Amino acid sequence: MEAYRQEIIVGSVVLYMLFCIATGLWAMRRTHDSSDFFVAGRGLGPIVVALALFSSTLSGFGFVGGPGLVYSIGVSSFWMVVISSTGYAIGFFLVAKRIRMIAELRDCLSLPDIVAARYGSDTVRFLIALTIVLGVMGYLATQILAMAVVMQAILSGTETFADIGLVTCVVISSAVLIFYCVTGGIIASVYTDVVQGFIMMIAGSLILMTAVSVFDGGMQEASAIILADDSEAIMPFGSAGVMASLGWFFVFGLGLAGQPHLITKMMMNKKMSDNRSILPMSLFGYVMAALLWISIGVVMRAAVIDGVVEPLALPDDAASTFLSIFANPFLAGIVFAGLFAAIMSTSDAFLNIGTAAIIHDIPKALSGKSVENELFWARVVTALLAAVAAGFALYSHYADATLVALLGAFGWGTFAASIFPVVAVGLNWQGATVAGAVTATISALLINFVVQLAGIVLPYGISGPLVAFVTSMILFIGVSLLTKKPELAPDIQRVLRI
Amino acid sequence: MTKNVIYWILAACVSMGLLLLAIGMADSVPNASGQPHTKHPGMLIGMDGAARLAHIGLLAFLFNSLLLTLIVCLCILGVSERYRSSKFLAGMGASLLFMLAIWWMMFSTHQNFLQTGDTSYFMGFPVPTAWQVYGTWLGAIPLVMMYSCGFRKFIYTRDDEEEFKTLLEQAVLDSQKD
Repeated sequence: MEAYRQEIIVGSVVLYMLFCIATGLWAMRRTHDSSDFFVAGRGLGPIVVALALFSSTLSGFGFVGGPGLVYSIGVSSFWMVVISSTGYAIGFFLVAKRIRMIAELRDCLSLPDIVAARYGSDTVRFLIALTIVLGVMGYLATQILAMAVVMQAILSGTETFADIGLVTCVVISSAVLIFYCVTGGIIASVYTDVVQGFIMMIAGSLILMTAVSVFDGGMQEASAIILADDSEAIMPFGSAGVMASLGWFFVFGLGLAGQPHLITKMMMNKKMSDNRSILPMSLFGYVMAALLWISIGVVMRAAVIDGVVEPLALPDDAASTFLSIFANPFLAGIVFAGLFAAIMSTSDAFLNIGTAAIIHDIPKALSGKSVENELFWARVVTALLAAVAAGFALYSHYADATLVALLGAFGWGTFAASIFPVVAVGLNWQGATVAGAVTATISALLINFVVQLAGIVLPYGISGPLVAFVTSMILFIGVSLLTKKPELAPDIQRVLRI
Repeated sequence: MTKNVIYWILAACVSMGLLLLAIGMADSVPNASGQPHTKHPGMLIGMDGAARLAHIGLLAFLFNSLLLTLIVCLCILGVSERYRSSKFLAGMGASLLFMLAIWWMMFSTHQNFLQTGDTSYFMGFPVPTAWQVYGTWLGAIPLVMMYSCGFRKFIYTRDDEEEFKTLLEQAVLDSQKD
């Protein structure tokens, strides 16, 4: 079986991609209008929403970058994962009910639609749509590049595709992504998410079992090896220190309720009461999948320190090296399929919200109406957006990484800082004003942009997104309290009271 | 008291902002956020944990305590004022105490390790890290349970469901008039 390792891995990935294409074709028949394309007609069941929610949370970063971060900075990076229970709880307490109610009441298709209804302001709609477009480009480019790099690594191990180029891999992976997103819209996206979620859960639990068997003494021996080398690396704040760790707790924990690709999914369930089962199911799925992040990272750091494995060229090689040395070919096949699943489930969510921002929200904010024949343009823009992001990814790889790195700065932290106060707090506090929302969003964008662009390093590992988030929360509430109390539309006022 | 929960949230955020400022202005420690491993490229090491916490340990402890308080205040904000009963608030208070207790155990066992250099293990990790991994994950479970089990009591009652249906019907009527 070991002789066919590459073939088994390639076969698993090909099977997974064929499944995505088939789902796109199936979903196309169920996509009749833009409401189906963007919010699945608000008709999804609890299991579908729960799996779509958690699988979109854990992107390729979780499968590649996560173990790499543990290898690099030890337990510090655990803070991005262990906050999931807090993050999901806050998201459901603050967002799930009211976003779903406003979506149905005002027939909203996107997050900017929701904020426009809440604040009665096209300025806030425009700012949130702009934030989403900026974030989507960076996220998509990095996800597509990650997908292509992994595909090249897998295919180049076979005789037939030994010399395959990165451009070809970008084309193949983008084509599959574009196909099912264009044909089936969010319906294809969420149903592929369901399978993607299952694959990720299975991969996470199997990897944990493999990881604990690497050392005779299991995870405890791995921890002891790291402790003997540098105790701080395996202590609660890791190598990066206490403020970096607590910053991640803040930004990743609270910030989950500010991620547009996640909270948009909270608009899609058929019944409001399903939320009570969606929350624990999403959390369970996330924890299972995240076992991979922690277990591979710890074992690979210990294995390198102990001399069992040669030092890695790059921390991000932790997952692939672990799979090639310790996992049997079938498990490696499942995990690589899981990796593609993680990347694609996040990418399709971003494609969907980015397209909505471009054809629906920005035109509405500027001219008061969205484009005609929305479904047709949604498909066209989805394809174009993915193609442009793929172009960015290649440009970044071969010519200049600055642009994508800059756009990448508009990632999780910026979404958290600029969207959380406006949406999560604003949907629960009638005193929130347009001035507060505009000030919070702009300040968050500016602080993140300046810290990234100027390469500012703050003391004790304090991060730019943390400063931006705390500042935007203070400004949002403070400015709202200082400005005239808004007169809300009667229906919105009633929703905010329920 | 919870009618003004937004002021509590603002107070928590302002206090956290001031703590960040104080931490930023505290005496610096070389490589407080890690330094490259001498043998293995790509790895960072933390080295002297006691020195890294010497000037900011208490401030960091307060920062996370405030963050946990903020999390519970936000969850209270997410529940309609009329459902913030004493039973609900008692549950939220207990959740906060549970999270603070876990945070205290994590912090104090780490401090103890820094002083003695000794630690035992629990389910694969040194005890302070086990508090972080398992404790932080479990810390918010009471909140999750309050949401799921109390959904029809605090989050979306039958009355809310009826009121929302009426609101939807009204919206349909209004759109037909237009």
